[in-house]
Amino acid sequence: MTWLTWRQFRAQAITAVAALAAFAILLAVTGRHIASLYAASGITGCHGGTCAGLASQFLSDLSSGRTFPLLPDGANAYVILYFLSVLVILVAPAIIGIFWGAPLIARELETGTCRLAWNQSITRARWLTVKLTLIGVAAMAVTEALSLLQAWWAAPIGKAVGLGGSASIMSEGRFGPFVFATHGITPLGYAAFGFALGVTAGLLIRRAIPAMAVTLAIFAAVQAATPLWVRPHLIPPSQTIATTEAAQANVFPTGGSTMVVTATRVAGQPGAWITSSGAVNAAGQPVTAPAACESALPHALGGSGSPECDNCLASHGIRVAVSYQPVSRYWPLQLTETGLFLALALALAGFCFWQLGRHRS
Amino acid sequence: MTAVIETEGLGKRYRKLWALADCTLSIPAGHVVGLVGPNGAGKTTLLSLATGMLAPTTGTIRVLGGRPAAGPAQLARVGYLAQEAPVYAGLSVADHLRLGAHLNPGWDAALARRRIDQLDLDPGRRAGKLSGGQSAQLALTLALGKRPELLILDEPVASLDPLARREFLQDLMETVAEQQVSVVLSSHLISDLERVCDYVIVLVDSRVRVAGPADELLAAHHLLSGPRRDMATLPDGLEVISASHTDRQSTLLVRSGGPVLDPAWAVSEVGLEDLVLAYMKQAAGRGHRQRHLEVQK
Repeated sequence: MTWLTWRQFRAQAITAVAALAAFAILLAVTGRHIASLYAASGITGCHGGTCAGLASQFLSDLSSGRTFPLLPDGANAYVILYFLSVLVILVAPAIIGIFWGAPLIARELETGTCRLAWNQSITRARWLTVKLTLIGVAAMAVTEALSLLQAWWAAPIGKAVGLGGSASIMSEGRFGPFVFATHGITPLGYAAFGFALGVTAGLLIRRAIPAMAVTLAIFAAVQAATPLWVRPHLIPPSQTIATTEAAQANVFPTGGSTMVVTATRVAGQPGAWITSSGAVNAAGQPVTAPAACESALPHALGGSGSPECDNCLASHGIRVAVSYQPVSRYWPLQLTETGLFLALALALAGFCFWQLGRHRS
Repeated sequence: MTAVIETEGLGKRYRKLWALADCTLSIPAGHVVGLVGPNGAGKTTLLSLATGMLAPTTGTIRVLGGRPAAGPAQLARVGYLAQEAPVYAGLSVADHLRLGAHLNPGWDAALARRRIDQLDLDPGRRAGKLSGGQSAQLALTLALGKRPELLILDEPVASLDPLARREFLQDLMETVAEQQVSVVLSSHLISDLERVCDYVIVLVDSRVRVAGPADELLAAHHLLSGPRRDMATLPDGLEVISASHTDRQSTLLVRSGGPVLDPAWAVSEVGLEDLVLAYMKQAAGRGHRQRHLEVQK
């Protein structure tokens, strides 16, 4: 069965290896330049307060460095590569679900070859076990390889951001919705889930093309919903209440008699992921910030609060309640999210076994 | 003699539609059995149930004494050539043989290679580029290569041209004679099977209308022709399967235990094709009458 799986999967495997190689070459060539810029930036061996400045300088050097001749003005090769490479890891599980998962059973049902395959001296359950295991492992390996390559490539950028470097659109922290889902071990979970989702859609819909479309739609919806509604609650967030000054809160007038207050940092928790925040009164109950302090804002569109505004809000007893995940929860969150998607993948696979045994072709 | 396929009240329903209902039959071993019936009689459903491609809605089915597709051992005992003889279009002829070798512990590599040589198939050729007859032969080679005890063929020649049909069946018969395997093959055309099967089952609307060894069936049926007369005056012991009348003459196909001795009739032998058609027509007539009654109600 291993032989048949390999024989049927060969073309896709070669395509995947070629894509992986192209990705690796692109990142290897450009990655060396990033590494040399980093080495020359003086960040290594910096002390205390100078680090953030050096890191910001490195990031802005990178962002304003070389440009490709064909790209519009201001478009920077590294910025584009950064987002492109993240995008590749983000869409890889969907591509795998569409081109490896969906046709796996649907194509056999469509062409009737299932009646050939399932009448050899091997049970359908074993046929499916071997296919799901081998191709599922390949799916996880390819996606994780992409992720590791990108992580190596972007490591200097990540270090600079970690040292407080900003002034670059690449300065998204480790908890950023795209960074979190494409680094660490989460790509393993997404790859397994995308593949199993495709296989299940193919088995239920019994036609490869519609199954591919359904796989894409469901996977995209799950991928969009996860950072918004799932990830913040995988581990119950920590809570704290701080003054707007300490939370470096942004204050936005809503046009009516209220203002929206959001925290941008948690005192004593550098790098923490703020999952939600809002104004509370002295008793700690959620309130709407009074528009009375609006006149103290530096400009009409709102933004980081001025000392006047912070004082005004404090005099009204307004503080900011923050729900956040401390940076120490990065790996526990990675493990939980990966576990969640691996469990979903296993559940889908189990459903396929049940469906294949019950319904028959 | 044991049965290769034995069913009891077997039925399969797709949503509201019964593809096969209340089918009870027993197919003996050691024969080349022709399963004949009009399109929609339930032949493919029956054979799919026998190979475990479908699960029954009602009733039971045993194949070689076991539950269809129950495990590797059961699968190894039954060779199946599905309708349209599916093969992997992207895999070569040699790949298909490798597939057979990898997935069947009892694989007879010599037999498979010999057949491919005899059929003059290029091992490197992709199965998608083979003609209909060639891919049917390739699929049959896969089914035979696992050395089954029972070979099930669903409409194996339906999509072949007349020459390929004859070659396919001839080749099948030679192999069957060598391997001593029981065969069940279905067709809606008895003319395809006449030359090859020694046992006939006529299936219409899920019901077995007649079943038995071909020579016994032929000996027990007669074609009578004579002047038109009242059917009630027929001798005892005759069962009229079909009757057609012109103004002056009647032609009857009858079943009788012994020879028909009434001098008023000219008795002639009946061919398998006429016999099977008579049973199909009889069943169709019954169905028609039943439907008519339902309308009246």
